[in-house]
Amino acid sequence: MQRTHLAGFVALTITACARGEHVPVRGGIAVTDDAGRRVTLAAPARRIVSLLPSFTEILFAIGAGDRLVGRTTWCDYPPEALAVPSVGDGMPPSVEAVAARRPDLVVLYRAGPNVTAAAQLERLGIRTVLLDLNLLEQLGPAARRLGVLTGHSRAADSLVHVLDNLASQPAAPSTRSLAFIVWDNPPIVIGAGSYLDRLAALAGARNVFHDVGAPSAQVSIETIAARDPDFVALLSDSAVPPRYAMRPEWRVVRAVRDARFLFLPGQLFGRPGPRAAEAIRELRRRLEAAR
Amino acid sequence: MDRELIVAVGDLTCRYPGAPRDALVGVSLDVRSGEFHALLGPNGSGKTTLLRAALGLVRPARGRAEILGRPASVWSRRDLARVVGVVPQREENLFPQRVHETVLLGRYPHLSLFGGVRAADRAAVERALVACDAVDLADRWLWTLSGGEYQRVRLARALAQEPRLLVLDEPTASLDLRHEMELFELVRALVDRHGLAALMITHHVNLAARFVDQVLILAEGHAVARGAPVDVLTRETAAAVFQWPVVISAFDGRPQMIPLRKKENHP
Amino acid sequence: MRYVLLAAAVLTTLAAALLLGPANVPFGDLLASPIVWQLRLPRAVLAFLVGGALGVSGVGLQALVRNPLADPFLLGLSGGAGLGAVVAIAFHLPGPWALPLAAFVGAVGAMALVYRLGLMSGAELDPRILLLGGVAVGAFAAAITTALVSLAEATELRNAFLWLWGGFSGASWTTVLVILVYAPLPLVVLFAAARPLDLLALGDEPAQYLGADVRRLKRVVYLSASLLTAAAVAVAGVIGFVGLIVPHVCRLLWGRLHRTLFPTAFLAGGVLLAAADTLARTVVAPRELPVGIVTALLGVPLFAFLLRRWTVS
Repeated sequence: MQRTHLAGFVALTITACARGEHVPVRGGIAVTDDAGRRVTLAAPARRIVSLLPSFTEILFAIGAGDRLVGRTTWCDYPPEALAVPSVGDGMPPSVEAVAARRPDLVVLYRAGPNVTAAAQLERLGIRTVLLDLNLLEQLGPAARRLGVLTGHSRAADSLVHVLDNLASQPAAPSTRSLAFIVWDNPPIVIGAGSYLDRLAALAGARNVFHDVGAPSAQVSIETIAARDPDFVALLSDSAVPPRYAMRPEWRVVRAVRDARFLFLPGQLFGRPGPRAAEAIRELRRRLEAAR
Repeated sequence: MDRELIVAVGDLTCRYPGAPRDALVGVSLDVRSGEFHALLGPNGSGKTTLLRAALGLVRPARGRAEILGRPASVWSRRDLARVVGVVPQREENLFPQRVHETVLLGRYPHLSLFGGVRAADRAAVERALVACDAVDLADRWLWTLSGGEYQRVRLARALAQEPRLLVLDEPTASLDLRHEMELFELVRALVDRHGLAALMITHHVNLAARFVDQVLILAEGHAVARGAPVDVLTRETAAAVFQWPVVISAFDGRPQMIPLRKKENHP
Repeated sequence: MRYVLLAAAVLTTLAAALLLGPANVPFGDLLASPIVWQLRLPRAVLAFLVGGALGVSGVGLQALVRNPLADPFLLGLSGGAGLGAVVAIAFHLPGPWALPLAAFVGAVGAMALVYRLGLMSGAELDPRILLLGGVAVGAFAAAITTALVSLAEATELRNAFLWLWGGFSGASWTTVLVILVYAPLPLVVLFAAARPLDLLALGDEPAQYLGADVRRLKRVVYLSASLLTAAAVAVAGVIGFVGLIVPHVCRLLWGRLHRTLFPTAFLAGGVLLAAADTLARTVVAPRELPVGIVTALLGVPLFAFLLRRWTVS
């Protein structure tokens, strides 16, 4: 009987190694990431490299910031993150630079080049977790799993609770309309199915392009003028009007003509993050102030 | 009658860039109005090069090429096209066109930059078609013409230029007997009746001998002989130039070259 | 009769461009509406002028390379323009005119390079050298562009490529003015070359015997056609197929002699592009398709049809 158990154990080990997984150990940690992979750790991660500013923020927010040994150059919040060594801009991630930090966990945003980088890191024996983070709804699950992986589940839970609540809130009654214009030639606007669109809805502002299914779309100036948003929202850290604001063809849009711009700082609005509630409050405040 | 000198080539030497040897060496030729000249010689002897140099397309290394007393290099292409009408050996035909459109191209050297086609131009086209016996072809598409008809149309185009000199580069190359004879007769008639000068490059030595006034024989860029056919076309000259044994026989007062068969094949 | 058709097409297309759009402008308010004056009218006029420029340029270049299947962008101009545009975006060149100017410089640079390649092989403006040189230069420019793209930020470059695919969304009276000032000279020069271009179709040597100064003609046509195309790209991105299709349609319908072909190609090119732009902004409303895609989608079946006719005849 013991021989059978041993044989079974050996067989399991061999097949497990063939699939590139670690042998599951009793008392260890396991989560399923957004690539469908089962990520397992023997103990909570102690040396983490984060390859997305939002993950860096979440890790600090759940109290695991001191475990960070690597971040991207774009990770600038909270200020404590700047003390963590950078491993490059992460587009695509430099596998060597990441490996040089000797991490036991690497957190990546699930997109093309990152999936390849994750595979390469796994071959070096480094655990990786691939998470989606495009939408408000994905913040909660991301935070929850990072909490499990870092052993900070309880701290994560309150953040997860806030984020999940936020995500399940219905849109606030809209009193104002806006259009997010991210490029002028050709004009590109943000549509439904994007983070910014959701933020606007929760802040009580109707995105005039909410009927466009894609997160971003090319439209004509005339369409924007026809839909006549109250505000033009753009991601900008300064309050300088965009370069197209002076052009006669753009001034056919009422909001441009009347200089009703909403300048939204990139750090707070540019990416889904744990400060989503703060972002919504800030947006609501600016909408009120511009009345 | 003192015939006007149209083309005067003196001691012309030419070499194409990058070529190992000269294409022409010290060649001279005078063509006057009312004269029909033939340019003979094996392939690669420099016939087309002489043509190009005489008309200013190729710059000679030595010697002179003059049209109506002025150096060929000085003439603008437009002015030259009003004096010399060329029927080139080859031309391209990208788009379908009608005969009268093609012949009208010959009037282009006479048209002003932004001006239209005048009645005088249409009259010249008509005259050219008549002279080449091609009036009934006027509305046909070029691609429907036979070889002989096509050559007549190209000749009409050159005539529409109202030139003093007609130059034809191997015009009968792919024509059958009848069309070949017709073409030679046509050129002869144009020279005799209209006082044109004509210069024809041809491989058909015997027909040339029958129709032309003067012959120039080239071999490897050198002028081998120049003069009336009866003086130039001798057995020794022909055999040396064409590198084949021949006998010369007279017909109609003109020498005819008859190539001999190889002895071992012919008992 | 057929010229009447062309005139009618011009008027219909312009009218459609002014009347159609997402904003509901009541007919009576048309003349007073800023939407019409600042957006639809300059856009329609610009599309028309650019289409005309591309049509004329196509005629000239097809005559030059003696190939009826040639498009102005075959000669490496689009690769050069693309490289210029990407450089402007990747290096954040300042000013609203940085992008068009860089695209223009890139296109002209490509043109000069192809010309130089032709000179080096001793065959000035030989059609085969032009085509091969154009492909080579285009590929070279594309390689550098790809290298830059891989090093720069993702969103900006996606937007650069959207611009490159062609569009009139940035149309303004200023751009219209630029084209109106710039285009007439190359257009007049090309029209003056109309008769010699008829002769060029016979071949270099026969054309010279018929009075065309072929060397000068080719240089002038190459320069003018390329400058027209470069200006079109600078203002509207790379819009293919117009320069390829329009000369053929015009040859079939209104005659192939260049004195007729240049004007009809200008008008027909204008009609095609203005119509394509109207489609581009109405077909997937409220979104817009890049115009270059619409001309390709319209152009390819039309081209296949013409190709069949051409090979059959």
